[in-house]
Amino acid sequence: MRISAGNLKKGDFVNFQDGICQVQKADFYSPGKGSALMKSRLKNLITAKNVEYAYKSNEQVEVLDVVSVEMQYIYKDNENLYFMDERTFEQTSLPISVVGDISRFFKEGEKMFVYMFDDKPLTIRPPMSVRLKITQADDAAKGDTVSGAKKPVTVETGATVMVPIFVKVGETISINPETGEYTGRV
Amino acid sequence: MKINTTVKNLDNYKIYLQVEKAIHEFMEKNNYLKIDIPVLSPALIPESYLEIFETDFKFLDKKEKLYLTPSPEIFLKRLLVAGIGNCYYLGRAYRNSEPNSDWHNPEFTMLEFYKVGVNYLELADEVLNLLQYIKDQISKIKTAKQKSEILFQKWEKYSVAQAFEKFAGITKTELFSEKLFFKKAEEKGYNINKTTYEDIFSQILATEIEPKLGVNGYPTLLYDYPKQMASLAKLNNDSLTAQRCEFYINGLEVGGFCTELNDYKQQEERFESEIKKRKKNKMINHSIDKGFIEALKYGLPNCTGAGIGFERLVMIMANVKSIDKLKLINIS
Repeated sequence: MRISAGNLKKGDFVNFQDGICQVQKADFYSPGKGSALMKSRLKNLITAKNVEYAYKSNEQVEVLDVVSVEMQYIYKDNENLYFMDERTFEQTSLPISVVGDISRFFKEGEKMFVYMFDDKPLTIRPPMSVRLKITQADDAAKGDTVSGAKKPVTVETGATVMVPIFVKVGETISINPETGEYTGRV
Repeated sequence: MKINTTVKNLDNYKIYLQVEKAIHEFMEKNNYLKIDIPVLSPALIPESYLEIFETDFKFLDKKEKLYLTPSPEIFLKRLLVAGIGNCYYLGRAYRNSEPNSDWHNPEFTMLEFYKVGVNYLELADEVLNLLQYIKDQISKIKTAKQKSEILFQKWEKYSVAQAFEKFAGITKTELFSEKLFFKKAEEKGYNINKTTYEDIFSQILATEIEPKLGVNGYPTLLYDYPKQMASLAKLNNDSLTAQRCEFYINGLEVGGFCTELNDYKQQEERFESEIKKRKKNKMINHSIDKGFIEALKYGLPNCTGAGIGFERLVMIMANVKSIDKLKLINIS
Protein backbone atom coordinates (compact mmCIF):
# COMPACT_ATOMS: atom_id res chain seq x y z
CA MET A 1 0.00 0.00 0.00
CA ARG A 2 1.40 3.41 -0.94
CA ILE A 3 1.04 6.19 1.61
CA SER A 4 2.44 9.68 2.09
CA ALA A 5 5.54 9.52 4.26
CA GLY A 6 3.79 12.03 6.56
CA ASN A 7 1.46 9.17 7.57
CA LEU A 8 4.25 6.74 8.46
CA LYS A 9 3.98 5.44 11.99
CA LYS A 10 5.90 3.31 14.41
CA GLY A 11 5.62 -0.35 13.49
CA ASP A 12 5.18 0.10 9.71
CA PHE A 13 7.43 -1.87 7.36
CA VAL A 14 9.15 -0.20 4.43
CA ASN A 15 11.80 -1.02 1.87
CA PHE A 16 14.83 1.11 2.51
CA GLN A 17 18.16 0.80 0.75
CA ASP A 18 17.45 -2.73 -0.48
CA GLY A 19 16.41 -4.05 2.89
CA ILE A 20 13.12 -4.35 4.75
CA CYS A 21 13.00 -2.03 7.72
CA GLN A 22 10.57 -1.43 10.52
CA VAL A 23 9.79 2.15 11.50
CA GLN A 24 10.91 2.71 15.11
CA LYS A 25 10.09 6.40 15.22
CA ALA A 26 8.55 8.87 12.77
CA ASP A 27 8.27 12.53 13.69
CA PHE A 28 6.98 15.39 11.61
CA TYR A 29 9.60 18.11 11.18
CA SER A 30 9.20 21.39 9.38
CA PRO A 31 12.53 23.12 8.80
CA GLY A 32 10.56 26.39 8.48
CA LYS A 33 11.93 27.06 5.03
CA GLY A 34 11.28 24.40 2.40
CA SER A 35 9.25 21.21 2.45
CA ALA A 36 8.21 19.47 5.62
CA LEU A 37 9.99 16.25 6.49
CA MET A 38 9.23 13.05 8.34
CA LYS A 39 12.28 12.30 10.48
CA SER A 40 12.34 8.55 10.82
CA ARG A 41 14.35 5.89 12.55
CA LEU A 42 14.33 2.66 10.55
CA LYS A 43 15.52 -0.67 11.87
CA ASN A 44 16.75 -3.12 9.27
CA LEU A 45 15.12 -6.47 10.06
CA ILE A 46 18.14 -8.46 9.00
CA THR A 47 21.08 -6.45 10.30
CA ALA A 48 19.09 -5.08 13.30
CA LYS A 49 20.87 -1.75 12.69
CA ASN A 50 19.04 1.54 13.06
CA VAL A 51 19.36 4.22 10.41
CA GLU A 52 18.03 7.75 10.51
CA TYR A 53 16.32 9.06 7.38
CA ALA A 54 14.27 12.17 6.69
CA TYR A 55 11.52 11.56 4.14
CA LYS A 56 9.73 14.43 2.45
CA SER A 57 6.33 14.32 4.15
CA ASN A 58 4.51 14.27 0.78
CA GLU A 59 6.74 11.55 -0.68
CA GLN A 60 4.96 8.30 -1.54
CA VAL A 61 6.25 5.32 0.40
CA GLU A 62 5.29 1.69 -0.09
CA VAL A 63 4.24 0.19 3.23
CA LEU A 64 4.87 -3.56 3.08
CA ASP A 65 2.40 -6.13 4.27
CA VAL A 66 4.78 -7.91 6.61
CA VAL A 67 3.00 -10.20 9.08
CA SER A 68 4.34 -11.93 12.14
CA VAL A 69 3.28 -15.55 12.48
CA GLU A 70 3.55 -17.46 15.73
CA MET A 71 5.64 -20.62 15.29
CA GLN A 72 7.37 -23.16 17.43
CA TYR A 73 11.14 -23.25 17.36
CA ILE A 74 12.01 -26.92 16.91
CA TYR A 75 15.75 -27.30 16.37
CA LYS A 76 18.85 -26.00 14.69
CA ASP A 77 21.74 -27.41 12.73
CA ASN A 78 25.03 -25.76 11.87
CA GLU A 79 23.47 -23.29 9.46
CA ASN A 80 19.75 -22.99 10.04
CA LEU A 81 17.05 -22.61 12.66
CA TYR A 82 13.85 -24.63 12.02
CA PHE A 83 10.34 -23.53 12.97
CA MET A 84 6.91 -25.09 12.67
CA ASP A 85 3.61 -23.34 12.13
CA GLU A 86 1.45 -25.09 14.72
CA ARG A 87 -1.75 -24.56 12.75
CA THR A 88 -0.57 -25.96 9.43
CA PHE A 89 2.36 -28.08 10.70
CA GLU A 90 4.42 -26.61 7.90
CA GLN A 91 8.11 -26.20 8.61
CA THR A 92 10.19 -23.27 7.68
CA SER A 93 13.84 -22.42 8.19
CA LEU A 94 15.93 -19.31 8.68
CA PRO A 95 19.73 -19.06 8.41
CA ILE A 96 21.41 -18.45 11.78
CA SER A 97 23.44 -15.72 10.08
CA VAL A 98 20.20 -13.83 9.34
CA VAL A 99 18.63 -14.20 12.78
CA GLY A 100 21.92 -13.24 14.40
CA ASP A 101 23.19 -13.44 17.94
CA ILE A 102 19.77 -13.56 19.57
CA SER A 103 19.39 -17.19 18.48
CA ARG A 104 21.81 -18.09 21.32
CA PHE A 105 18.83 -17.60 23.63
CA PHE A 106 16.26 -19.70 21.74
CA LYS A 107 15.04 -22.78 23.57
CA GLU A 108 13.63 -25.70 21.62
CA GLY A 109 9.85 -25.93 21.90
CA GLU A 110 9.42 -22.18 22.63
CA LYS A 111 6.98 -20.09 20.66
CA MET A 112 8.38 -17.29 18.55
CA PHE A 113 7.07 -14.83 16.03
CA VAL A 114 8.46 -15.12 12.50
CA TYR A 115 8.17 -12.13 10.18
CA MET A 116 6.73 -13.26 6.84
CA PHE A 117 6.54 -11.29 3.61
CA ASP A 118 4.99 -12.77 0.46
CA ASP A 119 4.76 -16.09 2.33
CA LYS A 120 8.54 -16.15 2.81
CA PRO A 121 10.16 -15.96 6.25
CA LEU A 122 12.33 -12.86 6.77
CA THR A 123 13.59 -13.19 10.30
CA ILE A 124 12.44 -13.46 13.91
CA ARG A 125 10.60 -10.74 15.77
CA PRO A 126 12.96 -10.50 18.74
CA PRO A 127 11.11 -11.35 21.96
CA MET A 128 11.22 -8.56 24.58
CA SER A 129 12.71 -11.02 27.02
CA VAL A 130 13.43 -14.72 27.35
CA ARG A 131 13.38 -16.84 30.50
CA LEU A 132 16.13 -19.39 30.84
CA LYS A 133 17.44 -21.64 33.60
CA ILE A 134 21.03 -21.36 34.76
CA THR A 135 22.84 -24.65 34.22
CA GLN A 136 26.33 -23.70 35.30
CA ALA A 137 27.72 -21.03 37.60
CA ASP A 138 30.67 -20.56 39.87
CA ASP A 139 30.07 -19.44 43.42
CA ALA A 140 31.09 -15.88 43.98
CA ALA A 141 34.47 -15.46 45.60
CA LYS A 142 34.16 -14.91 49.34
CA GLY A 143 34.44 -11.32 50.40
CA ASP A 144 33.46 -10.05 46.97
CA THR A 145 30.85 -7.62 48.15
CA VAL A 146 31.43 -4.85 45.66
CA SER A 147 28.04 -3.55 44.71
CA GLY A 148 27.25 -4.26 41.09
CA ALA A 149 29.83 -7.04 40.83
CA LYS A 150 29.00 -9.61 38.16
CA LYS A 151 29.96 -13.15 37.15
CA PRO A 152 29.42 -15.20 34.01
CA VAL A 153 26.90 -18.08 34.03
CA THR A 154 25.78 -20.56 31.40
CA VAL A 155 22.08 -20.90 30.64
CA GLU A 156 20.23 -23.96 29.32
CA THR A 157 20.69 -22.98 25.67
CA GLY A 158 24.47 -22.90 26.18
CA ALA A 159 24.77 -19.11 26.03
CA THR A 160 26.84 -17.18 28.57
CA VAL A 161 25.33 -14.24 30.44
CA MET A 162 26.76 -11.83 33.02
CA VAL A 163 24.64 -11.84 36.17
CA PRO A 164 24.89 -10.34 39.68
CA ILE A 165 26.93 -12.54 41.99
CA PHE A 166 23.93 -13.56 44.15
CA VAL A 167 22.31 -15.52 41.27
CA LYS A 168 22.74 -19.31 41.57
CA VAL A 169 22.59 -22.49 39.49
CA GLY A 170 19.04 -23.78 38.98
CA GLU A 171 17.47 -20.34 39.09
CA THR A 172 15.54 -18.98 36.13
CA ILE A 173 16.48 -15.54 34.91
CA SER A 174 15.11 -13.18 32.32
CA ILE A 175 17.37 -11.85 29.57
CA ASN A 176 16.96 -9.22 26.91
CA PRO A 177 17.98 -11.30 23.88
CA GLU A 178 18.85 -8.27 21.76
CA THR A 179 21.45 -6.95 24.20
CA GLY A 180 22.25 -10.25 25.89
CA GLU A 181 21.81 -8.55 29.27
CA TYR A 182 20.41 -10.06 32.44
CA THR A 183 17.24 -8.21 33.43
CA GLY A 184 16.17 -10.04 36.58
CA ARG A 185 15.37 -13.23 38.46
CA VAL A 186 12.03 -14.86 37.68
CA MET B 1 -6.73 16.02 19.86
CA LYS B 2 -7.49 16.28 23.54
CA ILE B 3 -6.62 18.40 26.56
CA ASN B 4 -4.10 17.01 29.02
CA THR B 5 -3.39 18.80 32.28
CA THR B 6 -0.62 17.80 34.62
CA VAL B 7 1.22 19.27 37.58
CA LYS B 8 4.05 16.77 37.23
CA ASN B 9 5.81 19.23 34.95
CA LEU B 10 5.89 21.99 37.55
CA ASP B 11 9.71 22.04 37.88
CA ASN B 12 10.09 22.42 34.12
CA TYR B 13 7.28 24.94 33.91
CA LYS B 14 9.15 27.10 36.43
CA ILE B 15 12.12 27.10 34.05
CA TYR B 16 9.69 28.03 31.25
CA LEU B 17 8.54 31.07 33.19
CA GLN B 18 12.06 32.06 34.18
CA VAL B 19 13.32 31.84 30.58
CA GLU B 20 10.41 34.03 29.49
CA LYS B 21 11.26 36.56 32.19
CA ALA B 22 14.98 36.51 31.32
CA ILE B 23 14.24 37.18 27.64
CA HIS B 24 12.12 40.23 28.47
CA GLU B 25 14.87 41.52 30.81
CA PHE B 26 17.63 40.99 28.26
CA MET B 27 15.64 42.70 25.53
CA GLU B 28 14.87 45.67 27.73
CA LYS B 29 18.50 46.02 28.86
CA ASN B 30 19.63 45.96 25.25
CA ASN B 31 17.11 48.55 24.10
CA TYR B 32 14.71 46.41 22.11
CA LEU B 33 11.14 47.62 22.26
CA LYS B 34 8.57 44.97 23.13
CA ILE B 35 5.82 44.81 20.50
CA ASP B 36 2.43 43.29 21.15
CA ILE B 37 0.85 41.94 17.97
CA PRO B 38 -2.70 40.91 17.01
CA VAL B 39 -3.26 37.17 16.97
CA LEU B 40 -5.99 37.51 14.32
CA SER B 41 -5.09 39.29 11.11
CA PRO B 42 -7.24 40.08 8.03
CA ALA B 43 -4.25 39.57 5.69
CA LEU B 44 -0.87 37.84 5.67
CA ILE B 45 2.44 37.59 3.81
CA PRO B 46 2.32 34.77 1.21
CA GLU B 47 4.54 31.89 2.29
CA SER B 48 4.53 28.64 0.39
CA TYR B 49 6.04 26.47 3.09
CA LEU B 50 3.58 27.13 5.85
CA GLU B 51 -0.16 26.59 6.06
CA ILE B 52 -2.37 28.83 8.15
CA PHE B 53 -5.49 28.66 10.34
CA GLU B 54 -8.51 30.46 8.91
CA THR B 55 -11.61 31.71 10.69
CA ASP B 56 -14.50 34.14 10.12
CA PHE B 57 -15.57 37.32 11.84
CA LYS B 58 -19.39 37.40 11.69
CA PHE B 59 -21.81 40.25 12.29
CA LEU B 60 -25.44 40.07 11.10
CA ASP B 61 -25.20 39.12 7.43
CA LYS B 62 -21.59 40.22 7.06
CA LYS B 63 -18.61 37.92 7.18
CA GLU B 64 -14.90 38.60 6.96
CA LYS B 65 -12.00 36.19 6.87
CA LEU B 66 -9.41 36.39 9.62
CA TYR B 67 -6.24 34.35 10.01
CA LEU B 68 -4.20 33.29 13.03
CA THR B 69 -0.77 34.85 12.55
CA PRO B 70 1.91 32.28 11.66
CA SER B 71 4.70 34.78 12.46
CA PRO B 72 4.99 38.35 13.78
CA GLU B 73 7.15 39.35 10.78
CA ILE B 74 4.34 41.16 8.95
CA PHE B 75 3.74 43.57 11.85
CA LEU B 76 7.32 44.06 12.99
CA LYS B 77 8.57 44.86 9.48
CA ARG B 78 5.78 47.41 8.94
CA LEU B 79 6.96 49.11 12.13
CA LEU B 80 10.64 48.90 11.11
CA VAL B 81 9.79 50.75 7.91
CA ALA B 82 8.03 53.36 10.06
CA GLY B 83 11.26 53.80 12.03
CA ILE B 84 10.55 51.94 15.27
CA GLY B 85 14.16 50.72 15.56
CA ASN B 86 15.24 47.62 17.47
CA CYS B 87 12.18 45.61 18.48
CA TYR B 88 11.00 42.16 19.50
CA TYR B 89 7.97 39.96 19.97
CA LEU B 90 7.66 37.03 22.33
CA GLY B 91 4.37 35.25 22.01
CA ARG B 92 2.19 32.76 20.22
CA ALA B 93 2.36 31.82 16.57
CA TYR B 94 0.13 29.32 14.74
CA ARG B 95 0.94 26.95 11.91
CA ASN B 96 -1.53 24.53 10.42
CA SER B 97 -0.64 21.14 8.89
CA GLU B 98 2.25 20.75 11.33
CA PRO B 99 1.35 17.91 13.68
CA ASN B 100 2.54 17.61 17.25
CA SER B 101 5.94 16.12 17.75
CA ASP B 102 8.53 16.12 20.52
CA TRP B 103 9.85 19.48 19.32
CA HIS B 104 6.89 21.26 17.72
CA ASN B 105 3.21 22.04 18.23
CA PRO B 106 0.87 23.80 15.75
CA GLU B 107 0.42 26.47 18.43
CA PHE B 108 3.84 27.53 19.64
CA THR B 109 5.77 30.42 21.15
CA MET B 110 8.20 32.42 19.14
CA LEU B 111 10.83 35.02 19.92
CA GLU B 112 11.43 37.26 16.94
CA PHE B 113 13.65 40.31 17.11
CA TYR B 114 15.22 42.81 14.75
CA LYS B 115 18.38 44.83 15.22
CA VAL B 116 18.99 47.77 12.95
CA GLY B 117 22.40 48.45 11.38
CA VAL B 118 24.01 45.03 11.89
CA ASN B 119 24.49 42.01 9.65
CA TYR B 120 23.86 38.36 10.46
CA LEU B 121 27.31 37.55 11.84
CA GLU B 122 27.32 40.66 14.00
CA LEU B 123 24.01 39.59 15.52
CA ALA B 124 25.47 36.14 16.32
CA ASP B 125 27.33 37.62 19.32
CA GLU B 126 24.14 39.14 20.67
CA VAL B 127 22.32 35.79 20.39
CA LEU B 128 25.12 34.13 22.34
CA ASN B 129 24.87 36.83 25.03
CA LEU B 130 21.12 36.23 25.22
CA LEU B 131 21.62 32.48 25.68
CA GLN B 132 24.25 33.06 28.38
CA TYR B 133 22.00 35.58 30.15
CA ILE B 134 19.12 33.10 30.21
CA LYS B 135 21.36 30.34 31.53
CA ASP B 136 22.62 32.61 34.34
CA GLN B 137 19.11 33.66 35.32
CA ILE B 138 17.77 30.12 35.62
CA SER B 139 20.81 28.56 37.29
CA LYS B 140 19.45 29.19 40.80
CA ILE B 141 16.20 27.35 40.29
CA LYS B 142 17.53 24.38 38.34
CA THR B 143 17.11 20.94 39.90
CA ALA B 144 19.87 18.33 39.55
CA LYS B 145 17.91 16.67 36.74
CA GLN B 146 17.73 19.92 34.82
CA LYS B 147 21.47 20.56 34.78
CA SER B 148 22.93 20.50 31.30
CA GLU B 149 26.53 20.67 30.12
CA ILE B 150 26.00 23.13 27.31
CA LEU B 151 28.12 26.31 27.45
CA PHE B 152 27.45 29.56 25.66
CA GLN B 153 30.89 31.23 25.69
CA LYS B 154 31.43 30.61 22.00
CA TRP B 155 29.94 29.16 18.85
CA GLU B 156 31.11 26.06 17.10
CA LYS B 157 30.94 27.48 13.57
CA TYR B 158 30.56 25.79 10.19
CA SER B 159 29.61 27.30 6.88
CA VAL B 160 26.95 25.17 5.19
CA ALA B 161 29.58 24.12 2.62
CA GLN B 162 32.01 23.03 5.38
CA ALA B 163 29.28 21.06 7.17
CA PHE B 164 28.17 19.26 3.99
CA GLU B 165 31.79 18.32 3.27
CA LYS B 166 32.60 17.21 6.81
CA PHE B 167 29.43 15.31 7.70
CA ALA B 168 27.94 14.25 4.36
CA GLY B 169 31.02 14.00 2.11
CA ILE B 170 29.57 16.48 -0.37
CA THR B 171 32.14 18.88 -1.82
CA LYS B 172 31.61 22.59 -2.32
CA THR B 173 31.51 22.09 -6.10
CA GLU B 174 28.80 19.44 -5.72
CA LEU B 175 26.78 21.54 -3.27
CA PHE B 176 26.61 24.56 -5.55
CA SER B 177 25.89 22.73 -8.80
CA GLU B 178 22.30 21.46 -8.91
CA LYS B 179 23.25 18.76 -11.43
CA LEU B 180 26.16 17.40 -9.38
CA PHE B 181 24.16 17.74 -6.16
CA PHE B 182 21.32 15.59 -7.52
CA LYS B 183 23.81 13.03 -8.81
CA LYS B 184 25.51 12.80 -5.42
CA ALA B 185 22.16 12.57 -3.62
CA GLU B 186 21.06 9.72 -5.88
CA GLU B 187 24.34 7.86 -5.22
CA LYS B 188 23.62 8.25 -1.51
CA GLY B 189 20.21 6.61 -1.93
CA TYR B 190 17.90 9.67 -1.82
CA ASN B 191 14.84 9.62 -4.04
CA ILE B 192 15.43 12.41 -6.55
CA ASN B 193 12.31 11.89 -8.66
CA LYS B 194 9.93 14.86 -8.84
CA THR B 195 11.88 16.74 -6.25
CA THR B 196 13.67 20.07 -5.90
CA TYR B 197 17.14 21.19 -4.83
CA GLU B 198 15.58 22.69 -1.70
CA ASP B 199 13.93 19.40 -0.72
CA ILE B 200 17.03 17.26 -1.20
CA PHE B 201 19.08 19.87 0.64
CA SER B 202 16.69 19.68 3.62
CA GLN B 203 16.66 15.88 3.57
CA ILE B 204 20.44 15.57 3.64
CA LEU B 205 20.73 18.29 6.25
CA ALA B 206 18.15 16.62 8.52
CA THR B 207 19.44 13.07 7.99
CA GLU B 208 23.21 13.41 7.95
CA ILE B 209 24.20 16.78 9.35
CA GLU B 210 21.80 18.10 11.99
CA PRO B 211 22.30 15.16 14.40
CA LYS B 212 26.01 16.14 14.57
CA LEU B 213 25.43 19.81 15.38
CA GLY B 214 25.54 21.34 18.84
CA VAL B 215 26.72 18.11 20.44
CA ASN B 216 30.25 19.13 21.53
CA GLY B 217 29.29 21.25 24.52
CA TYR B 218 28.67 24.46 22.54
CA PRO B 219 25.88 25.56 20.23
CA THR B 220 26.68 25.22 16.53
CA LEU B 221 26.19 28.08 14.12
CA LEU B 222 25.57 26.99 10.54
CA TYR B 223 25.95 29.95 8.17
CA ASP B 224 25.91 30.97 4.50
CA TYR B 225 23.10 28.92 3.00
CA PRO B 226 22.98 28.28 -0.76
CA LYS B 227 21.00 31.02 -2.47
CA GLN B 228 18.15 28.57 -3.21
CA MET B 229 17.60 28.51 0.57
CA ALA B 230 17.96 32.29 0.92
CA SER B 231 14.39 32.92 1.97
CA LEU B 232 14.33 36.66 2.76
CA ALA B 233 18.08 36.98 3.33
CA LYS B 234 20.52 39.22 1.45
CA LEU B 235 22.90 37.43 -0.90
CA ASN B 236 26.66 37.41 -0.30
CA ASN B 237 29.11 38.82 -2.83
CA ASP B 238 30.01 35.29 -3.98
CA SER B 239 26.48 35.18 -5.51
CA LEU B 240 26.26 31.54 -4.36
CA THR B 241 25.24 32.00 -0.76
CA ALA B 242 22.88 34.06 1.37
CA GLN B 243 23.55 35.83 4.68
CA ARG B 244 21.45 33.39 6.64
CA CYS B 245 22.35 31.20 9.60
CA GLU B 246 20.67 28.74 11.92
CA PHE B 247 21.84 27.48 15.26
CA TYR B 248 21.64 24.03 16.78
CA ILE B 249 21.90 22.57 20.26
CA ASN B 250 21.92 18.81 20.82
CA GLY B 251 21.08 18.22 17.15
CA LEU B 252 17.99 20.40 17.33
CA GLU B 253 17.52 23.60 15.35
CA VAL B 254 16.65 26.23 17.94
CA GLY B 255 16.66 29.41 15.89
CA GLY B 256 18.03 31.35 13.00
CA PHE B 257 18.74 34.83 11.74
CA CYS B 258 19.53 36.57 8.51
CA THR B 259 20.49 39.95 7.12
CA GLU B 260 17.12 41.11 5.83
CA LEU B 261 16.64 41.60 2.14
CA ASN B 262 15.56 45.20 1.57
CA ASP B 263 15.62 45.38 -2.20
CA TYR B 264 11.96 46.02 -2.94
CA LYS B 265 12.03 44.54 -6.46
CA GLN B 266 13.51 41.23 -5.24
CA GLN B 267 10.93 41.09 -2.43
CA GLU B 268 8.06 41.64 -4.86
CA GLU B 269 9.34 38.86 -7.14
CA ARG B 270 9.59 36.55 -4.17
CA PHE B 271 6.00 37.27 -3.09
CA GLU B 272 4.70 36.57 -6.59
CA SER B 273 6.51 33.26 -6.74
CA GLU B 274 5.21 32.34 -3.28
CA ILE B 275 1.61 33.16 -4.29
CA LYS B 276 1.98 30.91 -7.35
CA LYS B 277 3.39 28.07 -5.26
CA ARG B 278 0.50 28.39 -2.74
CA LYS B 279 -2.02 28.12 -5.57
CA LYS B 280 -0.22 25.17 -7.13
CA ASN B 281 -0.11 23.35 -3.77
CA LYS B 282 -3.83 24.10 -3.18
CA MET B 283 -3.12 25.93 0.07
CA ILE B 284 -5.61 28.28 1.76
CA ASN B 285 -6.12 31.29 -0.50
CA HIS B 286 -5.68 34.08 2.08
CA SER B 287 -5.71 37.84 1.52
CA ILE B 288 -2.29 39.35 0.89
CA ASP B 289 -1.29 42.31 3.04
CA LYS B 290 -0.90 44.97 0.37
CA GLY B 291 -0.05 47.55 3.05
CA PHE B 292 3.00 45.45 3.93
CA ILE B 293 4.18 45.39 0.32
CA GLU B 294 3.49 49.13 0.06
CA ALA B 295 5.46 49.77 3.27
CA LEU B 296 8.49 47.90 1.93
CA LYS B 297 8.58 50.30 -1.02
CA TYR B 298 9.58 53.00 1.44
CA GLY B 299 12.46 50.81 2.42
CA LEU B 300 13.18 48.42 5.24
CA PRO B 301 16.27 49.73 7.09
CA ASN B 302 19.45 47.63 7.00
CA CYS B 303 18.81 45.14 9.76
CA THR B 304 19.07 41.55 10.87
CA GLY B 305 16.05 39.58 12.01
CA ALA B 306 16.18 36.57 14.30
CA GLY B 307 13.62 33.91 15.14
CA ILE B 308 13.98 31.50 18.06
CA GLY B 309 11.65 28.66 18.97
CA PHE B 310 10.88 29.50 22.59
CA GLU B 311 9.76 26.01 23.62
CA ARG B 312 12.85 24.44 22.06
CA LEU B 313 15.02 26.89 23.95
CA VAL B 314 13.27 25.98 27.21
CA MET B 315 13.71 22.27 26.39
CA ILE B 316 17.47 22.89 26.22
CA MET B 317 17.50 24.99 29.39
CA ALA B 318 15.39 22.48 31.36
CA ASN B 319 17.26 19.52 29.84
CA VAL B 320 14.14 17.69 28.61
CA LYS B 321 13.53 15.85 25.37
CA SER B 322 10.00 16.93 24.48
CA ILE B 323 7.76 19.97 24.60
CA ASP B 324 4.98 18.21 26.48
CA LYS B 325 7.31 17.94 29.50
CA LEU B 326 7.41 21.75 29.79
CA LYS B 327 3.80 22.71 30.11
CA LEU B 328 0.98 22.15 32.55
CA ILE B 329 -1.59 22.06 29.77
CA ASN B 330 -0.92 20.22 26.54
CA ILE B 331 -3.17 19.76 23.53
CA SER B 332 -2.16 16.62 21.73
